[in-house]
Amino acid sequence: MKRFPLAALLAAFFVFLVMAVSVRQAVLLLVGIGMGAALAGARFGFTTGWRQLIEHKDPQGVTGQVLLLALASLAALPLLGQFPELHAALGPPSVSLLIGAFVFGLTMQIADGCGSGTLYKAGMGVPLNMGILPLFALGSFLGSVHLDRWLSLGQTEPVGFATAFGTGGALALTFGLLALTLLLVRAWVGPGRQWLARRWAWGAVALAVLATLNLLLAGQPWGVVYGFGLWGGKLAMALNLFDPTTNVFWSQPGNAQRITQTVLMDVTTITNIGILGGALWISARAGAQPVQPLAPRQWVVGLIAGFLLGYSSRLAFGCNVGAMVSGISTGSLHGWLWVPLAFAGSLIGVRVRRHYRF
Amino acid sequence: MVSTTSTRRWQLVFWLGLLGFLGWDWAASPPIDLRMEPPLIAAGSGQEVSGGHCSMAK
Repeated sequence: MKRFPLAALLAAFFVFLVMAVSVRQAVLLLVGIGMGAALAGARFGFTTGWRQLIEHKDPQGVTGQVLLLALASLAALPLLGQFPELHAALGPPSVSLLIGAFVFGLTMQIADGCGSGTLYKAGMGVPLNMGILPLFALGSFLGSVHLDRWLSLGQTEPVGFATAFGTGGALALTFGLLALTLLLVRAWVGPGRQWLARRWAWGAVALAVLATLNLLLAGQPWGVVYGFGLWGGKLAMALNLFDPTTNVFWSQPGNAQRITQTVLMDVTTITNIGILGGALWISARAGAQPVQPLAPRQWVVGLIAGFLLGYSSRLAFGCNVGAMVSGISTGSLHGWLWVPLAFAGSLIGVRVRRHYRF
Repeated sequence: MVSTTSTRRWQLVFWLGLLGFLGWDWAASPPIDLRMEPPLIAAGSGQEVSGGHCSMAK
């Protein structure tokens, strides 16, 4: 599709949201479009960045991600201290988090996309990621349905750095841990490496600004997975396969309300649609790109990985966006537990990816 | 290589599926009470935020 008619369609959807849903949701759509354009325009792939570090000792993607986390923390932690209406992304440290993050890190390498990566690549028209998206939603929904059973394996209360150490202490701890991350990366890659390419830098700055806008407008950090689970839940309800009143997670007052109202009132749904639209807009400039065809076995493995991405991200209280970017930038301990487990999963995931010749 | 025509066909199916889902959801859901519209900017609004997020255990 050409860029002008696409821009007109997105503008029409914006006006529809203003008139029929709320101005806030309409503005959040613009934030999402910006995120999609930044992710696709900068090719800001969390999965690719980790894979380049593991396989080629190329630190540029991870440095870009550290820059994003530093900038987003610098904005989010003082805002959380200033405005009591704003929420941090606080997930409980739990057995489910450890297992979920590991499986997520493993499967994101096979599926070649994390939460945001699957969205922007689907928006750009990559066939596997378009096929994965419905299974991601199904997995995310089933993960939320089973969440109470996973949590019964063991959990503690969420830990927020800002609550424990104040805004200044939380910032100091977050920056200290980010510096430690860079030191570990430096030890792995050795000397003489280029640390940050231009596209990773501008992508990090753009995403940090947009994530901060998301926090200010919606009152909650950027997320991806909750919206997918909501879509799956609505479809399961419509097919009479699911009764939310009998489920621990979906019978909670907030979730019970959201699953009965239109998904257009859900914050993560709107930004997810925006990311798809923004990525499509970027791909319209470049034109449709020929892609490497996949063998049937690769399709099956990729789609299974996509389902597991959705399921595990619910167990892990977020994907690379909800747990890593939003968790770490708002001072949640669970974000810092998520990263090493997901990275350990990725160490295996890149080998599985090679085995199946993706 | 998969041809660009094939990719465009996949894209059409994907977007029609998504639009179909959103259209069905809109038609099947209760109407929105616009008088209960949330504040444009949550920060400083004084209102409790009620959105869902993947970090939530409940």
